[in-house]
Formats: sequence, structure tokens, C-alpha cells
Amino acid sequence: MLEINNLHARVEEKEILKGLNLSIKPGEVHAIMGPNGSGKSTLSNVIAGREGYEVTEGSVLFDGKNLLDLEPEIRACEGIFLGFQYPVEIPGVSNMTLLKAAINARRKHQGETEIAPNDFLAWVRDRAKLVKIDPKMLSRGVNEGFSGGEKKRNEILQMLVLQPRLMILDETDSGLDIDALKIVADGINALRGPTRATVLVTHYQRLLDYVQPDYVHVLARGRIVKSGGPELAKELEEKGYGWLEAA
Amino acid sequence: MSAQPNELATYSAQFERYANALTAAERAPRSVQFSRFLASGFPDKHQEDWRYSDLSRLAEQNYEPDVTTAEVSPIALLPDADALVYINSHLQDAPSTSRWHSDTCELPPPTTGVDALNAAFASGGLRLRLDRGTRLDKPLQVLFVSRADLQASMSHQRHLIELGDQAEATVLLDFSGDGSERLATHFFDVRLGRGARLRLYRIQNEKAGGTLMTRIDAKLSRDAKFEAVTIDLGGGFIRHDLDIALAESGAETTVAGLYAQAKHSHIDNHVRVVHAAAHCTSRMNYRGLVDEKTKAVFNGKVVVQPGAQKTDSEQRIANLLLSRKAEVNAKPDLEIYADDVKCAHGATVGQLDEVALAYLRSRGIAKDTARAMLLRAFALEILDRIEWPALRARIESALHLPSELTVDFEA
Repeated sequence: MLEINNLHARVEEKEILKGLNLSIKPGEVHAIMGPNGSGKSTLSNVIAGREGYEVTEGSVLFDGKNLLDLEPEIRACEGIFLGFQYPVEIPGVSNMTLLKAAINARRKHQGETEIAPNDFLAWVRDRAKLVKIDPKMLSRGVNEGFSGGEKKRNEILQMLVLQPRLMILDETDSGLDIDALKIVADGINALRGPTRATVLVTHYQRLLDYVQPDYVHVLARGRIVKSGGPELAKELEEKGYGWLEAA
Repeated sequence: MSAQPNELATYSAQFERYANALTAAERAPRSVQFSRFLASGFPDKHQEDWRYSDLSRLAEQNYEPDVTTAEVSPIALLPDADALVYINSHLQDAPSTSRWHSDTCELPPPTTGVDALNAAFASGGLRLRLDRGTRLDKPLQVLFVSRADLQASMSHQRHLIELGDQAEATVLLDFSGDGSERLATHFFDVRLGRGARLRLYRIQNEKAGGTLMTRIDAKLSRDAKFEAVTIDLGGGFIRHDLDIALAESGAETTVAGLYAQAKHSHIDNHVRVVHAAAHCTSRMNYRGLVDEKTKAVFNGKVVVQPGAQKTDSEQRIANLLLSRKAEVNAKPDLEIYADDVKCAHGATVGQLDEVALAYLRSRGIAKDTARAMLLRAFALEILDRIEWPALRARIESALHLPSELTVDFEA
């Protein structure tokens, strides 16, 4: 599904990713862990196509297509979703307006007609229930006045509504209390299936207690320095990252 | 500043022709105004209030009196409103359903510049006078349509809105034009009696080529309330003066405005609120979307006169520059001569929020759509002040903004 080869990327002249390789197949859940500054967020942002990240070498293929040629909105329409570490507030654009515009953009991209208003309402209402967001909050501006936990749950709601095929969650677990963490994990698990893949970018092992990964990778100094199964996350929790960075 | 001998010669010739058709009694006050106009000429950039809107180019023009009387269609009449329709300065009987028109007008004390030019030539127009305690049962839409004439032409009109004590009205001043080479000036004398309430909309949708200048002078008595919403959508050379005098205690005004210009336009809004009595409230909130090759000027001024204690005033101006070739001059101004007052003011000029834009795009929304959604969000505070659904819908569609989704999960 996603093939990353020898990826080098810069932010403001500073090389952050230095030859990263990663292969993800449908149905898999990958956790990417690593110390601060190792390039975890850069990797997420390069895949999602955010501006300000310059790829200097290597390739990223999604279903065999060169992802780096596509505008960020086209990547989203193709089924890539990035859950942000710091979701932005947009007063004046309601959550419902965003969700509807996003759904219809995707449908248009796939040659489908716009969603019927009643179907849309029912679809959103059921998913809002899952992440325990009061539908009334959805008439407000995007993330406007939301608490940190509500913003993260709102990211998961958007993900549930849009049903992406590749979900990248950039430190979605950071700053969450245990109840919010469980809600976020339930949302991720609800979408788990043989046709979808998930990338959990995280600093801590905590989220992985609720979302069991198939693979764990350690990112350090712009490369994946170690890969393993779920047991690797536990090892990192005990030993820290020092032993790998030194290696 | 004052006119050179041969400048304004075309205006003198036009005035002579015009004055010859008047009776001696009619002619005298007009001549006084015209002499004042000749003495002052058109304001130029050396006058602070006209610094960014130099009118000296008008001195060389030869504008004939307007003659257009042809019907035009289609006319954007709003449902559930009474209408007065003017093409250039001529009342159109057929589409007009309102009786609030007068052929004649009252002249002001001698004045200068554009106001004097207006007073010298002005014909009548809207004349809305409501007795104490009466209420206009429908909003009144006054359409001013500027159309090409045989030659470049000018029209000057003077209007009156006078509400008696506790009277209430909603009036829409609706300016549109086809961009023909014309000069139009309008003066609105607004007088609100005690406890009277006026909701005034001023919408402008001129096209590049036309010159439109409006002045609204409003005077509020005790506990009167004046709510104004002004929207500039079009182009051309536009100058609006809105002067509000809070003359007696308890008077209250809110002014909200949006200028979202077409290309190659010049829009200058001067809004002045004078707190002349204690315990008055004023709110000024203007927003500008300034795009390619356009120039926007906003000057908001609040004056708190001696004795106007317990004044509560706030002015906010925010601008979004959408192009490097756009120019905006926004200036909030405050003069306070009383010591027990609450006054706040601020002005910003910024660009579209790139982080918000990136966020919307990351959800699959195309860049143009995402941009339009953010522009709408910026304009929303002003659009929300339009409590006339048909008018709001018309403006949103003219702005090419995507519609906001309102949903009711309880339904």
C-alpha cells in the first residue's frame, strides 16, 4: 500500500530525514517511535503533503502512484488521513461544514454524487457517539474552544467520518487522560480491517496498550534504526532510546 | 486647493444652463452653493480626509446632466419590501411601490467641495418621514441604478429620513451601476427622534469606471438607536462618508461594514461617530477583503466631546490582503475630551491563515474551496448582522461564498 524508499527530506535547509525505508501492507498497524527531533512528525507531514517540507531524494509510492506528485487534497481524496498533533482552530467554519465539504470532495474525486443531507446527518451522528462528542459542538467552528482532548477526539471523528485507507496519527495520544486515550484507541480499532493500514507515530508505549501494533519501528537521526514486533515497544519503555541512538 | 480660473469651466457652463431654468427664488441658494464649490474645488490629497482619494481628476471632466429615463431590467427587487427605483436620478414609476419620494429637497447651510457641488445641482429623492410612534410595516428598498447616458453624465440627489419619536423603519440603500463614465453623489440627512429606531443597509455594487460618492449624516436624539450595515461589493471609484452624531444621552449606534472589492477598484470609507452627550454607546466593526489591484481606505473616527461622560465606544477594523498588488490604508482614530469613558479601538491587516488552509486541504478540500471557506469565515461577523434573509442571500451569492451548513440534530 505504502512504499517509502530512501527518503530524504528537509525543513528550512535542515535535513531531517536521511534515507528512510518503510513498507506498509493493507491490514497492518505500524508504530513509529523515537526520541524528540528524530523526524517522526516530518515523516507524517511529508506523507500528507504539507507545505514547507522538501523531499530531496527517494520516493513514496501509494498504491503504486507517486505520492509526492499529488497535492495534499488529492492525497486525502485518495484515502490518506493525517491526525494532527496540534489540530488548528478555525472560527467561522463549522465542524459540520468541514465534514460535509470533505466527504463531498472525496465523493467527487471518486466520481460519485454528493451525499444526501439525511444520510450525512445520520452518518456523522453515529460516529460522534463513538467518540463521545456532543453533536451540538459540531455546529461550532472547527475545534473552536475545544479542550486538548476534545480536539484529538475531533480528529478521530473526522477520521471515522472519512473512512481513510491509510491513517497516520501523529502523537494523537499526547496530552490525553486515560478516558480520552481509550476513546481515541476505540476509534482507531473501529477502523481496523484487512483493507486499511495504520501508522501510529508516538513517543510513548501507552497508546500501544490499547491499539496492538503488528510492527514497531524506532526512528532516530532520520532513519529507522530498529524494527520489531510489539515486544520492542515494551523494551523501549524499559530501556529508553539511548541504547539505540548510541548504536 | 482652490480652483484655477479655467478649471471647473465645464461645471460652470453646466450650472449656468441649469440655473437659467430656475426661478429667481430657487436660483439664489443654488448659486451660493455653486460659488462655494468653485471656491473650494474638488478636494485633493493635501486634505487629510481625502489623502488617499484625490478627486482633482474630476475637475477636467465634462459631465452633462443625466437624461436617462429608460426602463431597465432585470431589477433586483427583494421580496416582501416596498421599493423606490431610480435610474440615474430619475424615479421609475412602474417598479416603485413606495410613496416616499419627493421631487424637491432641502438645501443645507453653505458647505464646500463635493457637498457644495451636490447642493448646487441636487434634485430630490427619498423622503421618508414617519410620525411619532409609527412603524414602517415593510422594509423599504431604495434602488439607485447608474446607467450609461448619451454622454458622460452626472447626478446629484438629496434624501431625507426623519423618524419621529419611537418611530421605526428598515431601509436599504441599494447602489448598483454598469460601470459607465458617470459621477453620482448622494446626500442622506437622517434624523432620529427620541427612542426612534432605524436599521439602515447600504449596499454598493458599482463596476469599474463609475464614480460614486455618498454621505450619510445621522443625528440621534435621546435613546434613539441607529444600526447600519454597509457592504461594498463592486468596483469603480467609491467614497462613502458616514457621520453619526449621538446628540442626546442614551443614544446608541452600531455600524458594521464589509468591503470586498472587485479588481481595479478604489473604495474609501470614512466613518465618524461623535459622542456629544453622556451615556451613549457606539460600536464600529469593519472588515475588508482586499484583492488584486484594488485600493481600500478605511478611516474610523470616534470623538468624545467634553461632558460626554460614561461613553462606551469600541471600534474594530480587520483587513485581509489577498494579493501583493492590493493596498489598504486603515486608520482608527480616537479623540477624547472627557475623563470617565470606556473606549477601545484596534486595526489589523493580515493575510489568509495558511495553517487553517493547509488543515482544510489535508481533509480533501480543494485549495480554491478551502480559501473561499476561510474568506467566508472572515466575513461572517459582518454578514451575521444582516437580519434580512433575502438580502443576505443576495450578498453571499455576489461574494461567491460557499454556503454555511446549518444543521439541527434534534429535528
